[in-house]
Amino acid sequence: MSLHPWRAATRTLTSRCARLCGPALALLVLLPSAALAYLRRERLPRQHRLLHEGTWCRLELGLYHVMIVPLIAFLPAPMAYGIARLQGNWRFRLDRSKREYIMYGLESVLGDQLSPAERTRITRDYLRLSSCQAVDALRLAGKGRALARLVEIRGREHLEAALAAGKGAILCGAHFGSYDSCFSLIGSLGLPITAVGRRPTRLNKDWTFVERMVFRLFIQSFLARHKQQPNIQPRGQLESAVQAAQVLRQNEVLGILIDPPVLDVDRPRAVPVDFLNGQALLLPGVTTIAQLMGTPVLMTFMRRSADWRHQVLEISPPISMEDDALTAFRRCLAVVEAAILQNPAHWHYWGKYALMDLGLLPKEQEPA
Amino acid sequence: METIVNEYISRELVSQPDLLPLQNDTPLLEHGILDSLSLLKLVLFLEERFSVEVAPKDLVPEHFGTIEAICKYLRAQHQVQEVQG
Repeated sequence: MSLHPWRAATRTLTSRCARLCGPALALLVLLPSAALAYLRRERLPRQHRLLHEGTWCRLELGLYHVMIVPLIAFLPAPMAYGIARLQGNWRFRLDRSKREYIMYGLESVLGDQLSPAERTRITRDYLRLSSCQAVDALRLAGKGRALARLVEIRGREHLEAALAAGKGAILCGAHFGSYDSCFSLIGSLGLPITAVGRRPTRLNKDWTFVERMVFRLFIQSFLARHKQQPNIQPRGQLESAVQAAQVLRQNEVLGILIDPPVLDVDRPRAVPVDFLNGQALLLPGVTTIAQLMGTPVLMTFMRRSADWRHQVLEISPPISMEDDALTAFRRCLAVVEAAILQNPAHWHYWGKYALMDLGLLPKEQEPA
Repeated sequence: METIVNEYISRELVSQPDLLPLQNDTPLLEHGILDSLSLLKLVLFLEERFSVEVAPKDLVPEHFGTIEAICKYLRAQHQVQEVQG
């Protein structure tokens, strides 16, 4: 079968690019890694070594997002996600503090539910997944087809049935897998979606200025492309719930994640709920809005397959909103918990400090 | 109008009994009576009860800081709607 000349030319160009880019990419990834390896050999005191490693790891991560991901994102999927997975492996080997924080989080929260070997595997997968998610975001460029052809959507009929009822639909999820690309992907299919979500600002003390800038330029712009309007920022703003209600009144889709740690300003409104063998402090706003507006809530998760490039986006039938808002919220959270226990590496909050903010780990004492 | 709004807020939105009875000039935001979700409840009530439409851009402390301010805003909205109607 002969290919269309334009398609044949594109294929040739892609394969040539891949051949030329391969060694350049390997160099780009290997340079910081080699520096890290050198630092390790240098027998610096542990505290200094961790500081140096932290700086190098951030540098390497920045380099990955700014230079490597844009270069590899549109290569054939096995190659793009293969390189991303490789970067995840490197981070597992070299970013000691990140690795230790995640393993500590897994051990503290799930305890005997995981063996040490499973904890190691999940930590490695966690870092691989986070590298792949950066590629997902870039594949949303244009009409998002580069990502869409790798994702199988299950349960779209539930979303369409909810919208047919005329009161909008709430897609409720967690910081799980490529959660942000998931909402944008739904938007790219022509379904009008607005997400509720905090974007990193100066209040996020664990993000440097450069990291925030990289996020805005290289990830946020691609994610925002397919959404109906900019994210509704729930950072203590008075109008955010009314903005969400406006979206639902227009019979559109609202995407909300229910598991983020609450900000200090929201603490008085947060409620302790059973979650992952402990009590997490969370905001049950999603079910309050759903009950007030009579809108169905559908649980949504995007899981990565074993080949690392294909994903399944699953939309559940509506969750029962009977009883009070808190009881309905507990139902949603139970679905989130089940998803996390089934695929722990997909959840973003295994880091020690995130778990402390959620209330699942006791806060560390500040040094006197 | 003040009585209806005061009764609704006192019954549905005030969680601390020591704030009752609510005065029409009690600062609703400073006392934590109104937050994002309780404001949504209030807006849905006002829209249904007084047949007005509250735009998200109008949700500022100037219009929702006290019961007096809410009623002033509602009256202004009624006038606007009458002029437009």
